[in-house]
Amino acid sequence: MSRAPFRILHAGALRRPMGECVQVFKERYPDLPVELESAGSRECAARICDGGIYDVVALADTAVFARWLAPDYVDCYFVFATDQIVVAFDRFSRGSEDITRDNWIDVLLSPGVIYGRSNHNLDPCGYRTLMVWQLAEKFYGRPGLYEALQDGCSRIYPKSIDLAGALVEGRVDYAFLYSSVVRQLGLCQVNLPSRINLSSPALADYYATASVTLEGRKPGEKVLLTGAPIEFAVAVPRNARYPVEAQWFVEFITGVGGQQILEDCGLIPC
Amino acid sequence: MCKNDCSWNLTADRLLQPVLLFLLRLKPSHGYELIQRLAQLDLLEGEADPATVYRNLRRMEQEELVISSWEATGTGPARRRYAVTPKGDELLDAWMVAVRRQKEKLEKFIQLYENHLDWEKARGGENLLPEG
Repeated sequence: MSRAPFRILHAGALRRPMGECVQVFKERYPDLPVELESAGSRECAARICDGGIYDVVALADTAVFARWLAPDYVDCYFVFATDQIVVAFDRFSRGSEDITRDNWIDVLLSPGVIYGRSNHNLDPCGYRTLMVWQLAEKFYGRPGLYEALQDGCSRIYPKSIDLAGALVEGRVDYAFLYSSVVRQLGLCQVNLPSRINLSSPALADYYATASVTLEGRKPGEKVLLTGAPIEFAVAVPRNARYPVEAQWFVEFITGVGGQQILEDCGLIPC
Repeated sequence: MCKNDCSWNLTADRLLQPVLLFLLRLKPSHGYELIQRLAQLDLLEGEADPATVYRNLRRMEQEELVISSWEATGTGPARRRYAVTPKGDELLDAWMVAVRRQKEKLEKFIQLYENHLDWEKARGGENLLPEG
């Protein structure tokens, strides 16, 4: 009889590093089949709450663990990496030859330019993008900018990795993505000022001035989420089928070997 | 205005490790908190880049200047918490000897410079040193 697979559920943005960590895991546990499954982090949490059985869960926001999974579904979750939001593009993007850190807003709001984000109700990259836009309005002193960027955003994808795919295929000119995803795909990026890119714990209070209302766990429920520095976290769910092997995986991804993989994938191990 | 780059900073790279060791000597902390404490100190020129701080902490751990362990905070996330080792303590003390020595040399240079300015003024001649 074949063994049940070791199941890893992860945020779409972690596809590359998780895949590489799994290669090492397979060397350690060659007889254990492994299944990788990805979704937006909130969607991942919903799958666990709906009774899904997973051995490892790695998400793009500690807030998703705090609000959805701890302590009922996971005992403890470990912060293992951080990142920043950037404006991604490629050489075929309209206006790409002129875009800079100082004029990105005007380029995106130009007629004919298409930019996208991920769904804020499913994916942390989506609600972080909305927070970045709010902080940009304040940082650049441009009243109404948040609304203008929302109105001008015609493409919304379920998770950030789908948005990245749309950029690669030319369906959008610009996309708000994690810097690590941009690096992994060999795309170009405009780095945003630290006061708006959600990268620095030193600016946590400033980021907290941005907030987004999201759909809650129950139908019709609304929750308010405030801005915070980006942190990725990993955990072993309580109902893991292979808790010992899952613990090994978590120790690997948070250890020296995993940190090297994360760094090679453009994440900042922490 | 000087055409060349006349700025002179004690760069983040040069000062970051001693400052991190000092902060950890005061209190073991995780990287998130260290970045916040660094910003409050305002010792480094420019912002403390989180990637640089985390990379230095990892390097310092490999060099056995600090050790880390996981610290869970109630129902919040567990973060890697760093503490300084005896080897790190020793290095911090050695660094401070070097910093004090450098400070003395810089003070001596400033004194020479100011003496020269006074001398120029006393002669009533033009100040030949560049402005700015």
